[in-house]
Amino acid sequence: MSELDVSPTSFDPRAITRPDDKLLTYYVLMSVLTLVAFPITFTVFYIRFKTLRYRIDDEGVSMSVGLLFKKEVLLTYRRIQDIHVERNLIHRWLGLAKVSLQTASGASGAEMTLEGILDPEALRDFLYTKMRGARGETEHAVAADDAQALKPADEALQLLHEIRDAMTVQHGQAS
Amino acid sequence: MSEHDALRSSGAVERVSERFYSGVWGVLVRWMRVPKEPPTLPVPEGEEVLAIHPSLGFLRYLKFWFWLVLFLTDVVFVALWVALIGAIPWAGFVTTPLWLAIIIVPDIVAYVAIHLRYDTTWYVLSNRSIRIRRGVWIIREISLTYENVQNVRVSQGPLQRYFGIAKLQVETAGSGGSAGAHGGGGSASNVGLIEGIDHAEELRDLIMARVRASRSAGLGDEHAGYLSHDQQGMWTPEHLAALREIRDLALAR
Repeated sequence: MSELDVSPTSFDPRAITRPDDKLLTYYVLMSVLTLVAFPITFTVFYIRFKTLRYRIDDEGVSMSVGLLFKKEVLLTYRRIQDIHVERNLIHRWLGLAKVSLQTASGASGAEMTLEGILDPEALRDFLYTKMRGARGETEHAVAADDAQALKPADEALQLLHEIRDAMTVQHGQAS
Repeated sequence: MSEHDALRSSGAVERVSERFYSGVWGVLVRWMRVPKEPPTLPVPEGEEVLAIHPSLGFLRYLKFWFWLVLFLTDVVFVALWVALIGAIPWAGFVTTPLWLAIIIVPDIVAYVAIHLRYDTTWYVLSNRSIRIRRGVWIIREISLTYENVQNVRVSQGPLQRYFGIAKLQVETAGSGGSAGAHGGGGSASNVGLIEGIDHAEELRDLIMARVRASRSAGLGDEHAGYLSHDQQGMWTPEHLAALREIRDLALAR
């Protein structure tokens, strides 16, 4: 699957491994809003910020978060049902966005929420082109899969020929 | 641009309100970072992307509710004010500015909010997918492909029929959350809510044609190709011939 260079710009989704530092600013602002509970909420947010890890590769997206209670979510591009991009006022001021991905699981919320994404349009369009039905790639994909699936059969044939030849030689020696 | 289509400029009042409204938009774009241009969709070259607002009938529909609610609430406030003047005349007259503010300010805010809601709602349609943006404080965008659509729901009430609009809900198998898929958007996050459009049937047919053409269940299924190999069998006549030779050789030993 060498379709990573779909986007016209030089956007590299694999470079996104951490939320942007501005997310910490956002978390500070959110913690300040909780007034007295600031130390608690900020600690929680800070740990979250420090432990958030994203991984976007050829097959799918995964994220992990948490220090004491670790959480990891993995999904493949083809199982993505819809992509959400959400930006509230503070997000927009900071230039951040929240990208949520949904699969067909029964969970009530989004399966994966990538917070602190600085370039949401590029990431979103990258994920979109990886989604099922985004492009007319279905026929080509089937053909490629067919070729791949037929290969073992050809190998079996070759193997059989080799066995036959070997047995012929053996047979010749024996007689 | 299109946000001014709704406010047809003819009289002085219209011109002033248009100026006011474009000022509001200036603040939104500049200070609240509300994007003025529609969202885009990556499509193959040569393919058109349709970016539309809801139909103007939707604006009239929203304004109908606006005038209804305005009438009902203002009747109550005016009645209270008159009652106060009747009971304690000096208090009623002194608080005149307050009463006027209560009666007028929310109306202006609500009226502007209706136009903002209309102008910030974008439906972007390509041959393969939909992207919907809505919201002013919180801007939400959803992208989904027709391939993943599970069902399409069209609903139209009598009032909506009068204004020539309908609501289209495009649902995927994405995690739905609460079933209350109501106007605000975001409660049921797997639903692409396309409200207030006047060609709902066309869009419904377009999407359903896509859904019918797809053999998959819209769940990110793998291709049917994998299955058909088992069915048609792996052994060709060549294989069988080779196997026969091996058998014959083995028998001859």
